[in-house]
Amino acid sequence: MMYKFFLYSILIMLYLGLAKALSPTETGIQYLQNERGFSKIAKDNRSTLILIDTHATGFLIKTYYQKYRLITGYDQVEELIVRTSKEFARKNLPHIGLSLYRKNDDREEFLPLPPGSAYIGDTEFGRWRKTRKGQVWKFHKPFRNFPKYLGWGEFQPDEEFFKEMKTHVSLNKPFFGVHSEFGPNGEVTMTNFPHFFNNDRKKKVDMQSLLIEYFKENF
Amino acid sequence: MAEIFDRLIIRVLLAAFVCLMMYVYRYAHVIFYPSVKRQVLKKINPAENPADSLHLFSRLIGIALIFSSVSFNETSGFFLSIFHFAVWGMIAIILYLLSLYIVESIVFYNFDYTDEILKRKNMSYAVISFCHSVVIAFLTRTVMSEAENSLIILLVLWLYMLVIVGISVKYYTLISRLTFNRLLIQKNLSLCFSYGGFALGAGIIIASCFDQEHYDITIYCIQVLLKTILSLIIFPIFKKGLFYIFPIKLGETGGHEGQIESDRQSYGYGFYEGAVFIAGAILTTMIVNRIQFGTIYPFF
Repeated sequence: MMYKFFLYSILIMLYLGLAKALSPTETGIQYLQNERGFSKIAKDNRSTLILIDTHATGFLIKTYYQKYRLITGYDQVEELIVRTSKEFARKNLPHIGLSLYRKNDDREEFLPLPPGSAYIGDTEFGRWRKTRKGQVWKFHKPFRNFPKYLGWGEFQPDEEFFKEMKTHVSLNKPFFGVHSEFGPNGEVTMTNFPHFFNNDRKKKVDMQSLLIEYFKENF
Repeated sequence: MAEIFDRLIIRVLLAAFVCLMMYVYRYAHVIFYPSVKRQVLKKINPAENPADSLHLFSRLIGIALIFSSVSFNETSGFFLSIFHFAVWGMIAIILYLLSLYIVESIVFYNFDYTDEILKRKNMSYAVISFCHSVVIAFLTRTVMSEAENSLIILLVLWLYMLVIVGISVKYYTLISRLTFNRLLIQKNLSLCFSYGGFALGAGIIIASCFDQEHYDITIYCIQVLLKTILSLIIFPIFKKGLFYIFPIKLGETGGHEGQIESDRQSYGYGFYEGAVFIAGAILTTMIVNRIQFGTIYPFF
């Protein structure tokens, strides 16, 4: 009996080991244990990582994924999916639509801030322009696509926004915008990163409608 | 009409050619079983030794099964397609007989064909041999289809298949309550039904493991191995489950040990074990191959 049990355990371990080595989710997708792993994803200088979606798969044992938009300082943008730990995924659930990582020369910042905060106030990327609303941030022509990449839509950061952001940075507190425009409850994030807020995601499973739909589809 | 008639003639000629290949096989059989030379090469008398008839004609079923995997491509010309069939038919015959020889050497390492079939007319041995013939043919057929006319891939897969089969036949002693060697000496038919079910079940599982798309031979071999290990994990669950759902009674209540042992050696117990093994194997292939987990990469 013990011999059979031992053999069976060996088989299970052998299967798990081999399957892990071959699994595309293990080999093809980077694993992000915590924020310390961001530097492996965003290697270029002046890059910023915006968390745009998060997702969990699995029945009993969940696997957590996060989707980031990586913007490197000189007009390069790409979206990438990483596998992550449960703790890190849960911790960052309230930070959807925020920039979780910024790299400037050798300095790394991990405080969740609205996307583009690394570039606002930097004259290399843009300048403050006077409008009827007051001073607003405008990117230079080579970076004219940045508001689209950063998911700003119609949003234009003003001086008040910039000052508030600086205060939050000095207090080491996450910042969601002056009127909480960013984050899971922010309008700007909801409009520009709509995937996470898709109604299908929130839909609760109703057994009756599920069965009716099943019978309609199959019979 | 002329075209249809021409095609009919081609079919008849090809059928005749397949018969010719079967004739070649008859001689090839003698290479591995030289002791039956006189019997095979002259007229066979089935009534004289039914065990030998079963042993010989099970090979016939096997080779027919394998030949059915080779296809004729008439578009490349009649003679070329016949040549293709002849080449692959010969390869199939060699691989099949070699596989049978190796597998039977593993399973019947304590037994000799001449003693068991020709002298003792052991029907249990013949039935087990019949199951081997069918299973090995089925697996060789699968491997030949997967090789897609590549001799190198065929040889790699064939060797790989033999290793898996060689290991799996040893698995029988772990999962059956019947003692193989002792019961085979006793010509016990319970054993052949139980082992037959096991061999067919193992064949179904191994064939299903080999039946998958392949682009890279290394990855393919690892995937086959993974599926085989997964089957080894799943199969005992079905076996235990089926034994639990359909319990059997061996011997009278309070009966002695000998009565239980005698019941275990009856046809009924052999059928029972064999049926559980086949059913468990079929259900295992369902769990291993028929569960779709959706896309591997998370698109969201």
